[in-house]
Amino acid sequence: MTSSATVGPAVSAGPTPARRRTRSSARKRVEIAIFTGPALIVFIGFVILPVAFAVVYSFFNLPAGFRWEHLADPDRFIGFDNYLRALTTPEFLKAIGNNFIIVGLSLVIQGPLAILIALLLNRKLRGRSVYRLLIFVPYVLAEVVAGLAWKLLLPPNGGVNALLESVGLGAFTANWLADPSIALWTLFAILTWKYIGFAILLILAGLQGVPEELSEAAAIDGASWWRIQWHITLPLLGPTIRIWAFLSMIGALQLFDMVWVTVSPSVRGIATETMATYMIQQGQFAGQPGYGSAIAVILFVISLTVALLYQRFALRRDLQGAITDRGN
Amino acid sequence: MHSSRKNSRRAGVRLAAGAAIAAGALVLAGCAGGGGGGTATDAPAAEQVTITWWHNATSGPLPAVWQEIAEEFEAAHPGVTVEQTGYQNEDLQRTLIPNALAAGDPPDLFQVWPGGEIRDQVANGYLMQLDDLIPDTIASVGGSIAPWQVGGKTYGVPFTFGIEGFWYNTELFEQAGITSTPTTLDQLNDAVAKLRAAGITPIAVGAGDKWPAAHWWYQFALHNCSIEALQEGAADFVFDDPCWVQAGVDLQDFIATNPFQDGFLGTPAQQGAGSSAGLVANGQAAMELMGHWNAGVMGGLTPDETVPAFLGWFPFPAIPGSAGDPTATLGGGDGFGCSATAPPECAELLAFIMSPENQKKFAASGSGIPTVAAAVGSLEDPNLKLVAEGLANSSYVQLWLDTEFGTTVGNAMNDGIINLISGSGTPEDIVKRMQDAAATL
Amino acid sequence: MTVQLQAAGRRFDWGQPFVYFLVLLLCAVAIGPVLYVFIGGFRTTADINAAPGGWPDPWVLDNWVAVLSAPRFWGSLLGSVILAVATTAGVVILGIMAAYPLARYTFRGRQGLYTVFAAGLMFPLTVAALPLTLLLRTLGLHGSYLGVIIPSIAFALPTTIIILVPFLRAIPGELEEAASLDGASRLGFFWRILLPLSRPGLVTVGVLAFVGSWNGYLLPLLVISTGTLPQEFWPLPLGLTQFSTQYSQNTGAVLAYTSLAMIPALAFFLIAEKRIVGGLTGAVKG
Repeated sequence: MTSSATVGPAVSAGPTPARRRTRSSARKRVEIAIFTGPALIVFIGFVILPVAFAVVYSFFNLPAGFRWEHLADPDRFIGFDNYLRALTTPEFLKAIGNNFIIVGLSLVIQGPLAILIALLLNRKLRGRSVYRLLIFVPYVLAEVVAGLAWKLLLPPNGGVNALLESVGLGAFTANWLADPSIALWTLFAILTWKYIGFAILLILAGLQGVPEELSEAAAIDGASWWRIQWHITLPLLGPTIRIWAFLSMIGALQLFDMVWVTVSPSVRGIATETMATYMIQQGQFAGQPGYGSAIAVILFVISLTVALLYQRFALRRDLQGAITDRGN
Repeated sequence: MHSSRKNSRRAGVRLAAGAAIAAGALVLAGCAGGGGGGTATDAPAAEQVTITWWHNATSGPLPAVWQEIAEEFEAAHPGVTVEQTGYQNEDLQRTLIPNALAAGDPPDLFQVWPGGEIRDQVANGYLMQLDDLIPDTIASVGGSIAPWQVGGKTYGVPFTFGIEGFWYNTELFEQAGITSTPTTLDQLNDAVAKLRAAGITPIAVGAGDKWPAAHWWYQFALHNCSIEALQEGAADFVFDDPCWVQAGVDLQDFIATNPFQDGFLGTPAQQGAGSSAGLVANGQAAMELMGHWNAGVMGGLTPDETVPAFLGWFPFPAIPGSAGDPTATLGGGDGFGCSATAPPECAELLAFIMSPENQKKFAASGSGIPTVAAAVGSLEDPNLKLVAEGLANSSYVQLWLDTEFGTTVGNAMNDGIINLISGSGTPEDIVKRMQDAAATL
Repeated sequence: MTVQLQAAGRRFDWGQPFVYFLVLLLCAVAIGPVLYVFIGGFRTTADINAAPGGWPDPWVLDNWVAVLSAPRFWGSLLGSVILAVATTAGVVILGIMAAYPLARYTFRGRQGLYTVFAAGLMFPLTVAALPLTLLLRTLGLHGSYLGVIIPSIAFALPTTIIILVPFLRAIPGELEEAASLDGASRLGFFWRILLPLSRPGLVTVGVLAFVGSWNGYLLPLLVISTGTLPQEFWPLPLGLTQFSTQYSQNTGAVLAYTSLAMIPALAFFLIAEKRIVGGLTGAVKG
């Protein structure tokens, strides 16, 4: 991998290769078909198609044990009723709110935290790669495992409270997962623990693109480490941070696994419901697949809207010449 | 270019390995995919029949009992294979069975829940009608067959049925100076106060899982509502009777006496020593309102894995002056049914499971109260005997309300009750939710 | 010059111990729960119930023995390995094949094709779960490993392609020109030059796919646990819940099982770790 042409905005395509119209376009089209074909078939067949069916289901009132025949029953077709119902149900609106709270918290807390840690880990430390490894471990764990571990650590008489007491912070013990007023914060702390490794890794990768010569030159000029980071490193990290923010937002909107396995159903229903958990609860456990499908579609629309808006306004510069270019 | 050739060879090796693995997976896929669900299409000439049997026994002594019964059936019926699998209850009831039925590929013999679910399944034609196939079996379980009948026809047979009551720690009661078990609500409130005064957590409730807390509301509804109101609710989802709201009022009053453990909203019902069952089993709470399976569950949560010796049982106390029938009780059970596409051997297997000998095994294992009268005598646990007695003395057994009303209304009802308990809902809200949910059906 | 550099270095030393402290603290927080699970495997359940936050007292090996001697554990391990390797191979192969034209060809509809894949990010598996199971039954893939592998590949493709495309773009056009001048076809370029150069990116998406498959729960639950595959061959996360209710009173065994189930994923990640940073570097540098 050459490095000379890669300082600058990340994720840019760079100059387009000179046109080589020496091949016949027919052969080119065949090559494209062969190369993208398998992935496309698998993707359309097993992702697009089921989701399309889910959209169809969302316009019907379907019972728990429904079959294909129900889709042919005109009485069951209710148009947008499922959507209206979802958008006027307080629990679902609260779930949407929870998702956006987590989005906000992630951007405001996890982002700076990850940047700080990545900057620290970018310094010359002994055993640096070991530390990076350890911090990434939570990301590699299965959600089921992580949920199990935290469920054992967080009860009133569990490990976390025991630890707090042993260092004299006994006043801060709480019923972390059972108290609805702090459950969302507890959940966010657990999410940070689990997913920050990925953010740190991403930012570390971005830091590799910041030339050392710049920092060294500034250091020679007498700048402190912190000033160097603030004025030189961080601005160059811009594109990386923006990509992380994008993935983080989408992940926060679709949050399901950690919430489902860690928080008890009651506390979840009161304090930490997300769009996805609400969807599974209603669609599967309350026996309303049509309603659940409508919620899934709403979830998709919200994710897509956020993604498109973000791409348009935040990522546009970074992606110039990549996704949004026209002549290519 | 030497390194690139090496790299491309490495890439080639990787590709080949991937292809080999994929091929291996395909082989496995072929082996496994061939089984599928019921095999009613097997050639009759070869007399090779496979019956798939799904149940919810994954812990305790029960899985071994079912396994033994399956093997004996196989031995007695050459050519028949019984594949029984135990699944976690929630997964089975909410995900696996509904999906299998919806896809048209259900197991042959599976757990059938009474009330709303069996009505739905019959309406969709998923279940085999059993009256003509195993009439003796049906007769042997007496009145408990009723919840598994729809329109007068039988579609499932219960193997266990019992009523709910208080499982309590006799030693802690003594410690708090409670001399006799409460028979009225006032006496229960007294007991709660005495336990608090003695520094003991009075009642453990697994509100984390929603339904254990909801059962409190069901009991208050049962004691406030006439039988007609209950049946009206079950049959037509009509909840106009003020008794439904009164249930919530009574529950609020009861909660105001501070009877539950701290952080009860996060406590699970059965998992681990921190669950409500675990708290009682290990002496950290005095009592729990729970169904007849609780002794078995508690037995698994003690350090020595036996049912605590201090365990006692008493039925839910009466509420003098309330409109409900004082001899009515809340209860439920588990049963099996055959899918409509299952081979006839499925009904035979069901009859075999329900035979007195096998039901005695069930009873002796302490897994629950058998429905077959002949097997009740094999009950060893004194508390289960008390429960069986309470069942026998009931004039009317109302199914757990969330089971009775089906998943949609039941789920909405439970959510409303949890809101009430956590202080963010009103008694009227619960009824409104139930009505709204019923309107979507 | 040397003196000035040394002066700069000494300025950093001031904060260095503090940095070490912070970093070590972070590492402790990160792996604390994991260590808790691991150490918990050495405790009896009675011990855990009595003092959830304490050290093993006594230290017992029973749980580890019980898990390691259970055929179900080894079968589940094999099942998980097969699923993960097949899924990873599929994701990497299909991913790089699809990413290549998207990154380096120009054709009408390239933008649309890319968007189709990228939109897949908006669909979590939970959304498609029910229709997917119906589809699998119709195709006869239900109850088989393939029924898990193919959808897993499908749902992993969006992330894979999004990571690989910028990666492939970064390879300078001059290399391609040089190759064609040497007489190599586009395919030859792909095979001999592009693939080896994109190894860090491939390893990255491979590791992500492997870990995702290893930890997958919903898909195996819906597809495998409802089929005829014996429980000995159910992948590890499913095996965990069976263990969990079967031993719901034996928390110690659950923790031992969980610890063992974690190890392969961690090992795989360890091996590939260096490549990941390189891989993400490429994606980010563009």
